[in-house]
Amino acid sequence: MRYVKLPKEKVYEFLEQLKSMGTLYGPKKISEKFYDFREIGDVKEVEFEYNRTITPPRKFFFPERETVFTFDTVNVEIHETLPTGDPIIIFGVHACDIVGLRIMDSRFIDDQPDPYYQTRRENGIIIGLSCLPDEYCFCSVRRTDFVDAGFDLFLHLLPDGYLVRVGTVTGHKLIENSPEYFEEISSEDKDNFAKFEAKRRSMFTVQGNWDDMRYRLELHLDHPMYMRESDKCLGCGNCTLTCPTCRCYEVKDLPTLDGAGGERVRFWDSCQFRSHGLVAGGHNFRPTKKDRFLNRYQCKNAYCETTTTAYCVGCGRCTYFCPADIQFKENLLEVYGFGGGA
Amino acid sequence: MILPDHEIIEECRDVCRATVGVYVLTSCYGCQLVMATVQKIMEVANLVDFKCFYMVSSKSSLHEPVDIAFVEGSVSTEKDLEELKEVRKNAKVLVAIGACAVNGGVQSWSEGDLDYDKLYASVYGNSKIKYKGLQAAPIDSYVKVDYYLPGCPPEEDEIMYFLSTFLFGSYPEEIDYPVCAECRLAGNPCILIERDAPCLGPITVAGCKARCPSFGVPCIGCRGPVPHDNSWFDSLALAFRNKGYSKDYIRERMKIFCSHDKNLEERLDKAFGRKK
Ligand code: SF4
Ligand code: SF4
Ligand code: SF4
Ligand code: SF4
Ligand code: SF4
Repeated sequence: MRYVKLPKEKVYEFLEQLKSMGTLYGPKKISEKFYDFREIGDVKEVEFEYNRTITPPRKFFFPERETVFTFDTVNVEIHETLPTGDPIIIFGVHACDIVGLRIMDSRFIDDQPDPYYQTRRENGIIIGLSCLPDEYCFCSVRRTDFVDAGFDLFLHLLPDGYLVRVGTVTGHKLIENSPEYFEEISSEDKDNFAKFEAKRRSMFTVQGNWDDMRYRLELHLDHPMYMRESDKCLGCGNCTLTCPTCRCYEVKDLPTLDGAGGERVRFWDSCQFRSHGLVAGGHNFRPTKKDRFLNRYQCKNAYCETTTTAYCVGCGRCTYFCPADIQFKENLLEVYGFGGGA
Repeated sequence: MILPDHEIIEECRDVCRATVGVYVLTSCYGCQLVMATVQKIMEVANLVDFKCFYMVSSKSSLHEPVDIAFVEGSVSTEKDLEELKEVRKNAKVLVAIGACAVNGGVQSWSEGDLDYDKLYASVYGNSKIKYKGLQAAPIDSYVKVDYYLPGCPPEEDEIMYFLSTFLFGSYPEEIDYPVCAECRLAGNPCILIERDAPCLGPITVAGCKARCPSFGVPCIGCRGPVPHDNSWFDSLALAFRNKGYSKDYIRERMKIFCSHDKNLEERLDKAFGRKK
């Protein structure tokens, strides 16, 4: 792997350079407390220190709502509306979210190639950014706190700039084509990188490894936590819609008034909704709120072969953005048997 | 009933024109206004035969058979009730449109607190009026409703979706998830979390693309409760209670558009009856 340094005074110039290559998105402050990935007009708006965005980066490849094809009932034809493949650059993606994208790939590329997702993904550049955890983060126990794949460049904060890890050929080209922004790293930079990582590691509120979490959950499906906590749940879907690895969608046909055609749209769905478990004939395999609540806990703790991790990457969104203040991490710890703190 | 028996009309395309009626009981006429001013109103008018649409034609009649009847307004008088029964008798598919027809409307706010006689006395005293009033109620208290198109007023894209699917020989899919889902899809911050706003998005059925929170205004629930008993008044009341709101405040706010929901009182009691 190649390492270079991006000095502080070159950061905005580098962002300008990225902007000239396609549509640049990055973390922005959108309200008093929240951040989101938005299109970057002025590079000065990029927020380098943020904990989590309200929408996950999967939205760039699997948008909240998209038309998948239009149909013509007169000539009995369908016309796929594939994305154009314009280059997009996502700047400032944290390690957990990068693993989240690889988890999305495992379902939308490896499993059943989805041309809409794949086209966008192949034309996307991912620039990672280091972070310091808050009390909601638990990527450490999910083994997603440090990534070695899934990014083109990864920027690690130094006192006077960033140590840049180069992850792909695209990343190499970014460096090669703009050598004026980069320097070789010094031994001081290496020390500072190690110090940052040590500090970061000590800040996680949970330590250890949760690889066996799913077995604990499967063995305790009747744990009283589920009834107690699902009782507080609003069934609002915020936990899944903000999650970087939720993949469920709903499709709907919108005919034109004259019936001569129409479009099929797909949009994000959630297993926290009643109709998610409703099948033909009117049977619902998750009829109660508790069934739906439990489903998410099982789904997020299942094993993803591609990343060898759980589907949950420990980003903390499902707790931070839960209007009912339901604590995912604490609830998992309770079932695991730690009763809140490992 | 698990599955509504989806009433559909035959697709007729060039061979015939679907007949449509737009009827009004007690309401503000806002739903009709939206229906009459949809951008594609001329296209609609060319494709269907309106037998009744007071805001558009004086040749409107209640007594002709129609394929699709859109009924706006709550049942608030005996005349409303007679008309509603007549419409139901003549319609293949009946759609309740707007907050009044679907949930009783704001005129139902005092449901469960003040009965008809008290309400009458506070407005008219001892005076007589020329028709007999009734306690305001959603239309499905009296007749079978095939589809619900909520909103105060309803959204234009939903009106078009309902019309298009009916004319296609299909039917509109029901929404059974709350405004929050569309709030996330719209990319808004959550004002309930961020500034403790009394947002009713979590209990209110989606379809407005989170119109109010998108402007930073808390949802007041105008589209009514999420259907199939999935409006968790108790859980939301608990969240509000933890933010310092009183039971009376929460109840009043939820009652504006949800007063006829059979779960409201019981779920509120559940939230306030238990320890924090
Ligand atoms: S089933 Fe639920 S938790 Fe799993 S991916 Fe779908 S929405 Fe997310
Ligand atoms: S389940 Fe929660 S913590 Fe885990 S990845 Fe999804 S949003 Fe993040
Ligand atoms: S965000 Fe919280 S309240 Fe909403 S569905 Fe998820 S757990 Fe329930
Ligand atoms: S602002 Fe209101 S509608 Fe939007 S997510 Fe929060 S509670 Fe739901
Ligand atoms: S956000 Fe709430 S109050 Fe506003 S239009 Fe939608 S349902 Fe009505």
